[in-house]
Amino acid sequence: MNGAMSSSLALRLAVFALVVVFFQVGVVAELPVFGVNADLCSLLVAFVGLMCGSSIGAACGFAVGLFVDLALLQTLGLTSLVFTLIGYWCGRLRELRDPQAALTPLIVGAAASGVSLLGYSLVEFMLGVDAPVSFELLREIVLGTVVNTILALPMWALTRRALERGLPEDPRRRRQRRTYTTGGLSPLTKP
Amino acid sequence: MHDKTVRRRRAVLGLLVVLSLLLLTAYFGEAPNGRLHAVQRDFLAIVSPLQDGANKALKPVRDLFDWFGNALHAKGQLAQSVKQTDKLRRELVADQAEKRSYRQLLAIYHLDQLGVSDYRPVTAEVVGKNPELWYATVTIDAGESSGVGINDPVINGEGLVGRVAQVASDGALVDLITESSMGVSARIGTSDATGLLQPKVGEPNDLLLQYLPGSTQPNVGENVVTSGTVSSGESLYPPGLPIGQVTSVNEESAYKSVNVRPFANLHDLGIVQVLTSGAGTRPSNLSRLATSLPAGQPALSGEQLASTQVGG
Repeated sequence: MNGAMSSSLALRLAVFALVVVFFQVGVVAELPVFGVNADLCSLLVAFVGLMCGSSIGAACGFAVGLFVDLALLQTLGLTSLVFTLIGYWCGRLRELRDPQAALTPLIVGAAASGVSLLGYSLVEFMLGVDAPVSFELLREIVLGTVVNTILALPMWALTRRALERGLPEDPRRRRQRRTYTTGGLSPLTKP
Repeated sequence: MHDKTVRRRRAVLGLLVVLSLLLLTAYFGEAPNGRLHAVQRDFLAIVSPLQDGANKALKPVRDLFDWFGNALHAKGQLAQSVKQTDKLRRELVADQAEKRSYRQLLAIYHLDQLGVSDYRPVTAEVVGKNPELWYATVTIDAGESSGVGINDPVINGEGLVGRVAQVASDGALVDLITESSMGVSARIGTSDATGLLQPKVGEPNDLLLQYLPGSTQPNVGENVVTSGTVSSGESLYPPGLPIGQVTSVNEESAYKSVNVRPFANLHDLGIVQVLTSGAGTRPSNLSRLATSLPAGQPALSGEQLASTQVGG
């Protein structure tokens, strides 16, 4: 699947990403939780990478980042760069380890949020933004990561629901599904 | 095949990263009216109607979250307000108590102008009251250690309150003027006619000034004050202490009597003063005599003692 994307998946991904970005800009950005705003876009990119692989993850990260930068009149390329790396690394995690634990999305979401917040700050500092490194910045990064971690599981469920049907059948997952399926007859019991 | 996939993957990543860096560099380096800024503005012009639409469509969702947030915030504010109200209420109560104490002290200060300062006044606070309707005693927080002795007169800013009945090292029991055993030598206004002021039977808030000479012409509303003398000589109470006001006059054959309402609000006593007197003085002698009485003998009032047992 790496690199190859069906048109169904591309369409689903584009629509879902658009909805998430609009939801982020229109709703989530205006609802501070514990004084910080959640960032669904970084979660989206991370989970797309985790589901679809590194190339699609990176491409999705770039596109979503570019869209966010354009829509919010931010420095063009900043979010794209951070999201590209996040999408790629999450995709590589899937390709190398294929973690199946239930808490994987939680950990990946937390890591992606932390990296994105830290990445923004680093690049902004490198670009010479006049902001002192303070406890407030650290607090925002930590709290932002916590809030995103809380939202990681629901976001993972949504992403999977939106994209799963567009994904090509994975033989390993098919085998796992068959093992866990309780209904139906075992081949041994067939007449 | 694997190498090709790896190469393609790396190429995609490299391309996107380089593209991002190029965008970043170009955008950061160009003027605000540069090409990338213009593209951004054009994009915003296209997307903003969509954003507006999305904002409007998502407003109920935002309102819902806002409602939850506001409810939580309001709950926090309510708790804070309740805490603040409690604090202010405590401060108000303390303030009112202080004000009340101040008023009483001020009244006592004015009373001092009558000459009670010669009797070594000791200021005390009422710390215990008999809760019964017919209550006639209060406990104060000054005792022997402050120089308080038995039969010492007790006053407050309004006038005579009672006398010390029992005394401990740091406290004393005060019989109020409505106590049945009390008797105070008193006179009406500036007249020389003196009588004995005692509690009126059956009315805990009223006093009866009796044994006034038949020639006395008392009027309702006149003030009743301590006379400072008894038939046998000096009274326990300094002369001129306000006690109450005449409310009605009773016509009797040989003597006259008047009903008196005390000035002091005996149900709301806060700060009082005990008029202690030095050793060797008459009140002090009376006190010693009262304590030397055998146990079980009914207590006599100071004035009765003065008139029956102590001469001069």
